[in-house]
Amino acid sequence: MSQEINRIWHWRITAGAALLLFFVMLLGVSFGPIPLDFFQIVRTILGLDGGLQDEERILFLQLRLPRVALAALVGAALATSGAVYQTVFRNPLADPYLLGAAAGAGLGATLALTRGNQSFYAALPLFAFVGAVLAVLATFLISGKSSANPATLLLSGIAIGSFATAFQTYLQQRKSEVLRPVYSWILGQLTVADWQVIKWAGFYIVVALFILIRMSRLLDGLLLSDEEAFSLGISPNKIRIIAIAAATLATATAVSASGLIGFVGIVVPHLVRGLTKRATNRALLTVALSGAAFLVLADLGARTLLSPAELPIGVITAFVGAPFLLFVLRAKRVLN
Amino acid sequence: MRYGDFYALDHINLDIPRGSWTCLVGPNGAGKTTLLKTLLGNKAYDGSIAIDGIEAYKKLRNVAFVPQRPEIPVGMDVSEYVMLGRARLDGWGRESRTSRQMVHQMLEKMHLSGMRHQLVAALSGGEMQRVLIARALVQEPELLILDEPTSALDLHHQIATLDHIESLQKSGATIVSTMHDITLGAMYAERIIIMQKGRVLLDGPSDSVIHSPELKRAFDDRISIHTLDNGRPVIIATRNS
Repeated sequence: MSQEINRIWHWRITAGAALLLFFVMLLGVSFGPIPLDFFQIVRTILGLDGGLQDEERILFLQLRLPRVALAALVGAALATSGAVYQTVFRNPLADPYLLGAAAGAGLGATLALTRGNQSFYAALPLFAFVGAVLAVLATFLISGKSSANPATLLLSGIAIGSFATAFQTYLQQRKSEVLRPVYSWILGQLTVADWQVIKWAGFYIVVALFILIRMSRLLDGLLLSDEEAFSLGISPNKIRIIAIAAATLATATAVSASGLIGFVGIVVPHLVRGLTKRATNRALLTVALSGAAFLVLADLGARTLLSPAELPIGVITAFVGAPFLLFVLRAKRVLN
Repeated sequence: MRYGDFYALDHINLDIPRGSWTCLVGPNGAGKTTLLKTLLGNKAYDGSIAIDGIEAYKKLRNVAFVPQRPEIPVGMDVSEYVMLGRARLDGWGRESRTSRQMVHQMLEKMHLSGMRHQLVAALSGGEMQRVLIARALVQEPELLILDEPTSALDLHHQIATLDHIESLQKSGATIVSTMHDITLGAMYAERIIIMQKGRVLLDGPSDSVIHSPELKRAFDDRISIHTLDNGRPVIIATRNS
């Protein structure tokens, strides 16, 4: 018998997740109606001779790569903020959509679409972003002094979310011609991906994830009661506020870039925790990498299952996520 | 400390000497837990609550806290949970080899080795209490605060656990605990503070406090104190007659 306990976290797990992401991304860019060659892709990326040429090169650089990159960014954002929300609210089922962020973004997007004016279409991400941030702010203001109480905050989030959704439905019904674009946006789509979107979304998501991963070590303290965390040398309230702000920034950016893609925030963190048998937030970088891989894979499914037609990616993640959620719920019941 | 019109702590003046073991006793709602949490140093209070002459809020101490009702993290196993106790010394998110050895030894000492891969959420009350104390002890605290550390333990583990805490005290740590079992408290603590309605009713060496009329008064005269042949006091509840 060894005279010390096992390591709580080993960097090899993180390296494994990075490798997984790399291969999944390679799969993502090479599969499609026109298959691209693995080795030519790698040579193109490395700038070597014998890379992709002509149309294939354009297809790769202007369509496949931005799309896969956006999927990876959004997947990382949703999975990481999911894990962070679950820690901060000490609720294993907390999700980026819980604080009303998604519903707020949906309302913002619907507002943009119902204006009907073409120029508002372009501003859709901005509307969605502002909607998400306002919803989270409202959730905080309503829970007021007890915002440190997880249950109060969750209930406020649900109330704000319901209100935003109701208002969104009202707008849709009043102007039925926007129903289709609104719904296709709600179900999530990565077809809009171009380098412009990746630039601004990438900026916010990378900043938010950097903050979260930097502070991930301290997040473990939030798994304990505030007094215990304080006695271990951290100030839970300060960490909680920074964590929620960064996670909301990531979620809002992801939602405004790609619409509502559900379940990533629940499935991926639980999968990583289940496989590594570790609850520590040191897993956060691994969660981000796995979330990216998960969504790239889901997008591959969305593009190829009904090819040449496309499924909304939200449908794929829900197909996988809803049964998984039930599985988690059952496992928890067995546990308690 | 004020909750509405109700003072959980009513202007308390207290200084706890370093290296001592102080036990807080009193009926439910006397303010014992509030006083313990105040000693952590992140609560405002009026009066003076000091450890070794330094006010609780003024100094960031390496203090270990064993709560009566802990927050149970989902999906965390026993070794990972106890390892959190080393976070302050190793730096959060790091784990030294010394720490892993120390946690290993502590788990053996507390008879927890067999369940180190079990989820803390699946533990019984008594097992959880031992895990909490293991976490507190690996923290190598200068101040150890325990809220009812033995209430869920069987008799054997009560004594074993209190012995572990006493050996920590012997190495220089200050101990403050609440204990419903005053007899047990008097066996280990050299000082007992009787609390009632947020005030200190009596504060002194265990032997004199335990035989004082204030102790009976704090519990509305529903206890009786007996002395065993070896001179050890025993406190039992009595029915009103």
